[in-house]
Amino acid sequence: MHIDTGALPAYARGCAVLGSGGGGPVTIARAAALQALDDHGPVRVVQPADLDPDLLVMPVGTAGSSAVMSERVGGTDEPLYLRQKIEELYGTPVAALMASEIGGANGCLAVAWAARLGLPLVDADGMGRAFPRMDQTVMQLRGISPTPAVVCDGRGRTVVIDHVSGRWLERLVRAALEPFGGQVATSEYVLRGHQVASSTALGSVTRALRLGTALPAPLISGKVAETGSILVEGLGPDLGRLVRVEAGTEFLAVMEDGAPLAAVPDVIAMLDSRTGEAVDTEHVRYGLRVSIVRVPCDPVWHTPEGLRLAGPEAFGLFALPAPATSSAPPGGPPPAAASALREDPPAATPSPPQRPVTS
Amino acid sequence: MKAGVDVGPTNTDAALLGHADAILSTVKVASVPGDPVASVTAALGRLGAPPLAQVAVGLRGAASAVDDRRGLYKVAVLRIGGHEAQAVRPLFGWPEDLLRAVCAGTAIVDGGGGLDREDWTPLDTVAVARFAAGVAGRAQAVAITGLFSPLDAEQELEAADIVRAELGELPVALSADLGSLGLIERENATVLDAALSGFATDVAARLAAALSPVTAVHVTRGDGTLMSLEHLARHPGLSLGSGPASMLRGAGVLTGLEDAVVADVGARRVRVGALAGGFPEEAPGGARIGGVPVGLRIPELIRVPRPFEPAELAEAVDRMQPGADRLPLVVVGGGERAVPGGLHPAHGTAAGAIGAATSPVGGQYERVVRLPDRSDLPAALEAVIEEARASAVRAGADPRHVRILEAADTPLAYLPGPFVRLRARAAGPPAQL
Repeated sequence: MHIDTGALPAYARGCAVLGSGGGGPVTIARAAALQALDDHGPVRVVQPADLDPDLLVMPVGTAGSSAVMSERVGGTDEPLYLRQKIEELYGTPVAALMASEIGGANGCLAVAWAARLGLPLVDADGMGRAFPRMDQTVMQLRGISPTPAVVCDGRGRTVVIDHVSGRWLERLVRAALEPFGGQVATSEYVLRGHQVASSTALGSVTRALRLGTALPAPLISGKVAETGSILVEGLGPDLGRLVRVEAGTEFLAVMEDGAPLAAVPDVIAMLDSRTGEAVDTEHVRYGLRVSIVRVPCDPVWHTPEGLRLAGPEAFGLFALPAPATSSAPPGGPPPAAASALREDPPAATPSPPQRPVTS
Repeated sequence: MKAGVDVGPTNTDAALLGHADAILSTVKVASVPGDPVASVTAALGRLGAPPLAQVAVGLRGAASAVDDRRGLYKVAVLRIGGHEAQAVRPLFGWPEDLLRAVCAGTAIVDGGGGLDREDWTPLDTVAVARFAAGVAGRAQAVAITGLFSPLDAEQELEAADIVRAELGELPVALSADLGSLGLIERENATVLDAALSGFATDVAARLAAALSPVTAVHVTRGDGTLMSLEHLARHPGLSLGSGPASMLRGAGVLTGLEDAVVADVGARRVRVGALAGGFPEEAPGGARIGGVPVGLRIPELIRVPRPFEPAELAEAVDRMQPGADRLPLVVVGGGERAVPGGLHPAHGTAAGAIGAATSPVGGQYERVVRLPDRSDLPAALEAVIEEARASAVRAGADPRHVRILEAADTPLAYLPGPFVRLRARAAGPPAQL
């Protein structure tokens, strides 16, 4: 299978859906991917079984501010610098790239960078969606070391981070953002080919392509009736219904009559009914006609360890009742409990000072 | 007495206004295809007015020229951004025919900035000169876009000097004059601005020949204010979006409303927009012109093709409401009878001409600044207000009567800094010289 300029628009739409309202706008990254595919030809998508077990798979993405990315659209050489440093650090060739985060801008950037390097892209990613923190990955759950990790910019200015946990990686990359001007390219949680099948969210690329052409039936269709706390009022067949959407940098839960219709770690996407484009949390406006869809996340996020790292409580939503209408994915949803949402995040999870375009 | 003229694709409206902007008469004539100046003189002739002190003209010609790829200058597109601005090259994704009509060559040279002084790279002046020499004979205008120029426009000015030294006097559009952060959209706007130079210079000269020196002539801008013909020739991109903007302004003037949702009913479509504080509500993420995204301050509109289902129009009106509190709906335009509800003011079919005639001359200025100390805000905002005032005077406003319409500071989220976007708009009556 290949991604070419014809398939990219659907893929980018799918990435935006998997962004769950976050992950950074895909506009610039989609254009960068189209240009890279134009210049270098299609990107081959490979399955974990096709990989040389001992060669490296390099997860890639950017971290930082989407406002900066809208201006500093990026260079063409970031993936070259990342690859060179990773190969030097690991003493092994990189055989394929993988998106650190399929949701939002980073899903598209992985295609652009695979095209530039002439390397295949693995049909997998680190999250299966977008999350605000770099350590909210399946690799972290599976005990893959986040380091040595590489941070660089388009001129090749490079920082190597080593001997730290995922949480510390996040701290150090955020600290590097200011001197790097608000945005960096990163590679972390580097894998060997044989680790991909057990330690990543599988099938992410094909899933994004599929979601770009066909979405699950919406939880509700209506209009945005309030934006402070987001309320969506049902229209048409949903007339009379009212849901509240909890949002941070991503959409976190959809509540109706005090019970969630959907909640993080599952993906919640809001789609503009007129354009079909995914709406991110920053662009929810009064009167917008929207459909809200729930896309099940990778089952690993519903395990106890997964929920600890990226479940509702990691986002400050405590004792959320089990989603009422969702079919429980394998791994099982969190146990039901009757309580209200709390907005304050737990002390252990301070909200990051910058919005991550990616992790 | 003064008059306003709105040159549409099919019809041209004109309105004659007397003391205190009282509407004395309005007329509608068929537009002269492809000749906006002839349309203006025809409409003014029909108005049968005595010599006028002021005429304000709404030209939709700029947008049509882009849409029809007609009369556009070939533009040399220079981006200052080096390694940090390569991933999406200039004009990437433009429609093929527009690209052919406009592009005289592109280059990305080293230089450009960032959020911090340390992030700035020196301008590669040799590369700028080489590029300029390379497009000599092909380029009729030049568009220069510097990375982070909304923070500091110095390198764009430096590059413009080099280009002029190399190519002589030709129109040079600078992105810092046109847009805010968002490189691609700002660059696209700058390229269209440069491409419209020929159209604008021609229209300005012919309008001046037809109406001056007896009459002070102004044209409408996309932000709902006016500018002089000299200003149009220098900054033609500012006239993009001006047709809908004067229509919205006119709807406000005719009803006395400062805040309203406005439906402009044309023969083939209804355009729904909103007025906030008497001026058009702007599209938050810029807009598309001729198939490309542009970071210009122009009205946000929802277009509903005719014939329409009542529910379709109701949805568009609802979407333009700023919140759950309903603003009144004002219905104007030649086809206003097709929309039964809302307010239908007298002379509503000439709302665009009336909006042009009654609008002030405007200017605006915007900068992004790092403000670690909040106590520096008043001084920084005052500097931006002064620039907006100066911009209004350059556009033709009477310096004695310029007032500040808006002065706002918006913190930019998620940036190390903290950074604040400062913006001011100023307007005043046309200077009578």
